[in-house]
Formats: sequence, structure tokens, C-alpha cells
Amino acid sequence: MTVSAQALRASAADRSLVVEGLGKSYGEGEGAHEVLAELDLRVDPGELVCIVGPSGAGKTTLLRCLAGLMPATTGRVRYGETTVSRPQAEIAVVFQDYRGSLMPWMRVRDNVAFPLEGRGVGKAERRARAEEYLAAVGLTGVSEKYPWQLSGGMQQRVAIARALAYSAPVLLMDEPFGSLDAQTRFDLEDLTHRLRAELGVTIVLVTHDIDEAAYLGDRVVVLAGSPATVVDTVEIGLGSERDQLRTKADPRFAELRGRILTEIRSGRDAV
Amino acid sequence: MTMRQRFLTFARAALVQLWLPVVLIAAWWIASSSSTSFYFPPLSAILADLWQGLTGGDLLSATGYSLRNLLLGLLVALVAGVAVGVLLGLNKAVEAATRPMLDYARAVPHVAFVPVIIVALGLGWLPKVLLIALGCVWPILLNTVDGVRGISPQVLECTRAYRIPLRLVVRRVVLPACAPQAFAGLRVALQVGMVMLIVSEMYGSTTGIGFFVLQSGENYAVTDTWAGTVLIGGLGYLLSLVLLAAEQLSLGWYFQRQPARRRGAVRVPSTERAVAS
Repeated sequence: MTVSAQALRASAADRSLVVEGLGKSYGEGEGAHEVLAELDLRVDPGELVCIVGPSGAGKTTLLRCLAGLMPATTGRVRYGETTVSRPQAEIAVVFQDYRGSLMPWMRVRDNVAFPLEGRGVGKAERRARAEEYLAAVGLTGVSEKYPWQLSGGMQQRVAIARALAYSAPVLLMDEPFGSLDAQTRFDLEDLTHRLRAELGVTIVLVTHDIDEAAYLGDRVVVLAGSPATVVDTVEIGLGSERDQLRTKADPRFAELRGRILTEIRSGRDAV
Repeated sequence: MTMRQRFLTFARAALVQLWLPVVLIAAWWIASSSSTSFYFPPLSAILADLWQGLTGGDLLSATGYSLRNLLLGLLVALVAGVAVGVLLGLNKAVEAATRPMLDYARAVPHVAFVPVIIVALGLGWLPKVLLIALGCVWPILLNTVDGVRGISPQVLECTRAYRIPLRLVVRRVVLPACAPQAFAGLRVALQVGMVMLIVSEMYGSTTGIGFFVLQSGENYAVTDTWAGTVLIGGLGYLLSLVLLAAEQLSLGWYFQRQPARRRGAVRVPSTERAVAS
């Protein structure tokens, strides 16, 4: 289950994703709803940063701004020196709802290869690369199936394979494991960790699950308030090797998650 | 399903739905067998006439002419309806601007156009194909618009995030996504097309199955008239079965999913589904 060296080099990150004074409002004038304000964030190449916050804190809005799917109202998002105001070839997205984002009329292999088709990659190479990335996320023998014939966890693996096949150095994940059962979630968390290590990609993962954030992240960025802004950035410092049992039993892990939870609560109480 | 199970399912569905038509036809056959009425000939005579017309007479070429016009008209309607439907479905402003015209065009009974078009374009096959297309295009177009509108915003956002070029989005996302609705529209269009076909041939034609029925009626060849009418009904039913089979074949992803996850209402009568599968 390793990704070929060629793919590794193709997608390793070399630039930072930077958010400068980002503000985002929905609507205009009196009735405008301000979701994000004065938000600063920097994600360095190869980092795995988790963004946590209470529901409704604007996490998904932030991720959509990072992906260039939504324009910033104030401030800007840049990747290296490029302002991200529309979707970029260097940024791939794994959506929260795999059912909505995988095409039910395409077989699994074609779903994974679809972004490559958009780039004009030939059919044979598309297929080969789709198989390769499917294997990288631990899926074999399903490429001829339709997504809806797979379990939720497998479908989300397909969505991850599709993001990898896009060969982008930055992977944005919007609550990717939120609707999965605990065991599947753990497997996919470890998969995410492993892919980061093998591919050298930058990952920004939005979640409401504090345990998940502390377990996965090199850093955890805590969003709170209304409009939401960064209330704290927690360095996790648990090393790059994580284990569902040992890491989560580590006293430092308990302390970190306690700290994050306290911040989310104080941010919420301050509203 | 194994072949045996498939056959049993099919046989059961066929039995449940076919016994009544069979009984009614048998009743017609028996009740009319000794009929001496000029207007209600025995069914056996009608079928014999039909057989003779199809094997030796000019009914076969008339049917071929009509069928070709119908299929051409449907094809034109399908291409135009899907193309314009996709355009309108993807573009709210254009759709809003054309909506009143579409509602008008749909509300006018299409047979009302028959005299105008035949007077303007003559008695050949082209005006008939145009008339059929004119009647058939609306259900396909409006259903396609609905289908495109029904595409989940997440799917479209995903194509945006992965920077899929528009022509590829149309070909690989929009068309397959609206295909179930477009097919449902096509089935309605088939019924409209049959009506347009017959009316256009009755109004101004020198051949075709509609002309055959009209002319035989005017010549008091009542058995011929009956035979033609029976043929028209059978043809319509046969074509709808062909369409259903094509739908099942091309939309496997749609029909094999759990019914709860399907979008839109595509009604498939159970016998027809069994025939098609």
C-alpha cells in the first residue's frame, strides 16, 4: 500500500497557504451576516493543520475560502504568492458529503480519474493512475463498481483517492469523517496521517471533533466567537508517529484536548 | 438474479397484468365471430386483413413511411429538447426570459399547427417530421430543464473545485444527471408524437398509416380501417416497450440503486419493467 515515488514527487508541497486578515460576510448592508473576521492563518508545506470550532463557527466557510470556491469579503488567501480567488490546480478538496460529491453514474475508477480527464490526461494513463491511487487508499477490486455499491467509509476513501489523483500539493478536507462510524473513522484518520507522510502534501482538515483534531494535527487552530476568528493555535507536539491506542492514552493528549475544549467553550461563552 | 429467477419474475408479472387483455381480446373474438354488421366486422376478419396488408398489400410501406417520420421527428425533438434544456437549466437568466414563451408553446394544442405547417411546407415528409418534432420537443425540453435544476449543488461545486472544463461538465455530469428525467420526457413525447403523426397524415398526405385509416374509412372499407387502427395501437405499445428497454439498458446506475435514493418520479409499470429487464 505505498504510493509510487513518481506520484510522491509530483505532489509534495513547497509553498505555504496563508490567510491574511480574512473576513467573510453573507449578504450586504444592514442584513449582512458576518461569519469570519480578521482571521490570520499560515499553513507551511507538509504541515497537517486541523481547524476546530463549535458548529456554526464558520469552519466550512473558511475551507471554501481556502479552496477558492468562495471569494473573501475582506483580506485574502494566498498560496505562495498567488492569490486564491478561484479554485487552484494546487489545491484539492475532499468534501464532507461523499454521497453528494461522487458521481453516481460513474464507476469508481472514472470518479477518481475525472479530475485527470479535466486536465486532458489520456485514457490509459488516467486508468492506471486511478488504480494506483485507489490502491494507495486501501481499495482494490472496486474500480468497476459504482460508488453507491460501497460503504460510506469506502466511498470517502474513493473521494480521497480522487483528491490525490488531482496531484495537488494541498489537500483541504471538510469534516471528511463526520458521518462515519468510529472504527472506520479511526482507519481513515490513520490513512490521512500515512498519506501525508508518504506524499509530503499539506493537509488542512476541518472538524468539530476535538479528539480527531488533537490526534491528527501538527497544530490545531481553534475558531470561536461570532464572527469567528482564531482564538488559539495549539502546537500538538506528539511527534509524527501516532497510534489510536497509545497516543490517545498519552497524558499529554488528554491535556491538549482539555485545553482545546476549554478554549472552544470560553469562545462560545463570550458570545 | 439467475436466469431461472428472472424468468419466473417475468412470467409472474406478465401473468398478473396480461390475463385481462387476453380475456378481453378473446371476448371480442368470440362475440364478433358471427357478426354480420358492416361497421363491426369479426376480429378474425380484421386480423386476417391486417396480416394480408402487412405481407402483400400497401399497409407495410405505409407503416414504414409513418415509422420513419415518427423516429426522425422524435430524434429532432430529443436533440433540440436536450440541448436547449441543458442551456436553460444551466442559465437562470435565459430560462426566466424564455419561461413565458415556453409556457405558451406548451399550452397551445400542437395539432393546431398542422394546417399552418402543411399549407406552408406542403405534403412531403419534411413538414410531418417537423410537426412531430414540434409536439415532442416540449416534454423533453421541460423535463431536461428540471433534471438539470435537480443536480445537487455539491456535484457542481465539486466540478468547480477540480477545475473541470465546461464542455466536460456538460458531457460527463450534466447530461448523465438529467438523463433519467429526459427519458421520462421522451416517453411522454412518444405518445404526443403518435398523435401528431396520425393527425398530420390525416390532414394532408398521400401515404402513411394515418392516411390509410382515413382513406379506407372514406371508401367504406371498414375492415381495413379497423386493421389500421389496431396496427396503430400495437405500434405505439411496441415503441414504448422499446423505449423502456433502452432506458433500462442505458440508465443502469439509476435503476439499480435503492429506489429511495432515486430522484424525480419516473413511473415504470411493472410488466414493462419485467419485459425490459
